Amino acid sequence: MILQRTAQVIENVSLAERTFRIRLDCPEIAAAIRPGQFLMLRLPGTSDPLLARPFALYDTVLDPSGTPVALDVVYLVVGKMTGLLAEVKAGEPIELWGPLGNGFPQLEAEHGVCVAGGIGQTPFLAYVRELLGTRGYAGQRPRKRVERVSLYYGVRTASLAAGVEDFQAAGCEVHLASDDGSIGERGFVTRLLERDRPAGPFVGCGPEPMLHALTKLTASWKAKCYVSLETPMACGFGVCFSCVTKVKTATGWDYKRVCTEGPVFDADSLVVG
Amino acid sequence: MSPDLSVTLSRLKLRNPILVASGTFGYAREMEGLVDFAQLGGIVPKTVTALPRVGNPPPRTVETPSGLLNAIGLDNDGIDHFLEHHLPYLTSLPTAIIGNVAGEDEDEFVELTAKMGQASGIAAVELNLSCPNVAGGIDFATDVEITRRIVKRCRDVCPVPLIAKLTPNVTNVVSIAKAAADGGADAVSLVNTLLGLAVDWKEKRPVLGNGTGGLSGPAIKPVVLRIVWQVARAKILPIVAVGGIATIDDVMEMIVAGASAVQIGTANFYDPMASTRIVSELPAALKVLGCDSVREAIGAMHVGA
Repeated sequence: MILQRTAQVIENVSLAERTFRIRLDCPEIAAAIRPGQFLMLRLPGTSDPLLARPFALYDTVLDPSGTPVALDVVYLVVGKMTGLLAEVKAGEPIELWGPLGNGFPQLEAEHGVCVAGGIGQTPFLAYVRELLGTRGYAGQRPRKRVERVSLYYGVRTASLAAGVEDFQAAGCEVHLASDDGSIGERGFVTRLLERDRPAGPFVGCGPEPMLHALTKLTASWKAKCYVSLETPMACGFGVCFSCVTKVKTATGWDYKRVCTEGPVFDADSLVVG
Repeated sequence: MSPDLSVTLSRLKLRNPILVASGTFGYAREMEGLVDFAQLGGIVPKTVTALPRVGNPPPRTVETPSGLLNAIGLDNDGIDHFLEHHLPYLTSLPTAIIGNVAGEDEDEFVELTAKMGQASGIAAVELNLSCPNVAGGIDFATDVEITRRIVKRCRDVCPVPLIAKLTPNVTNVVSIAKAAADGGADAVSLVNTLLGLAVDWKEKRPVLGNGTGGLSGPAIKPVVLRIVWQVARAKILPIVAVGGIATIDDVMEMIVAGASAVQIGTANFYDPMASTRIVSELPAALKVLGCDSVREAIGAMHVGA
């Protein structure tokens, strides 16, 4: 069930260049959300920006007894709304609703591989913990689903790499790539992946060209691949029909809503272009 | 004593004047958990067409200052799918369901209205005479004679109240509202979105996949108020105000300007619980006016010479 709440900001801290982690006091949504699902965040008391924006769950925050009490969201400042979000102080209110979307598949495998580009790493932290069985979500008990998880993470430059320590602390093997070679290997993250050639299954999140490259690569390996999409969204819960993407059907394709039928899709099901 | 919130628009009786607008509430199922349907005056589900429509290519929406420009393109699975898959759920809800239809030509409007209006449990039919986003389509409600004729022909096949949803993209909405009344409409919904354009100057192209789009949200409220007031003064037929209504103040402004009911639209996207919150705030707002009923407040605005 989707809940709309006003949450107090607990903290809003810098993680990397133009990248922040905002922590929201919202026990009800924190108790219900699972990895790969998202939230809509809105600045109250203004009609400009008017709409909420979609943000992936970074992770839930637990109290000493292990009960989820707060939500972490990591965001990159890209426009008007995120610019204002970066100025929000602890104690101030944020409107939000969620949990939204289908979430990541609960894989059972030896080695899960997350592939991220740009700000696309953010949905994977909670997922790493779910897969490794260090944390349960939405009332589920923790259960180990994979032996190991790797994150292949590409950024333009070192100053934009955000949360690498969080992933390492969660028990994830992190492989970095950057366009300028300032961190990790120089070049695209998919090239790094091609070199290592893990067996998968794969889950990708990031810019469209990266997801296309990942889909093509994993298809050539005949490996299972899922992708989490980001499209412009007005509501986040399926009523505005803005956020559509082309999905294959028996007779061709149809537009499906990323917010409700996604954001996570089997890479095979998507029509490219 | 709690005030009487019920309103009557010709043959259509509603428990309260707060409806939710077509295209902003899906088929209601999506809003389960967010909205207590029993609190609403009624629900207008997303527009249904004769055949399935894939809709426009994305991007389909873009935010503008205090507004939303959309060109969804009536993405829907057609009337047969609607009647089979959505209507049983909708009519099971404890509120009035007002089916919304859009034809590509007059005959299609008549066929759709007959199917929708004769479906069990439908409280009324709203004719979307004014979707600005259907490529190659005609904005029927820009023409007095076409509006009168479509409404008349639909009225003849529709056993339930009929509402004509009009466009603001004309010189004089009053004459179109008169035509709808002449055709036998029970009410007019004023108004559909304002035709607009967003431009990406660096790419030298429109932002929306469809080119132009329809503007909604708080930015258009003054335009809607002006049109509601103009049509109300002409005393043509009951008015459902729609456009930029997001708060109890917006609702009261529309009612005193002459609306008998309102539809919450774009606000459902950015404040999903807005509709029921507004219903709960209505009694206190009426008290401010010293009114014991919504009916007393309709058109209560004093107008200077």
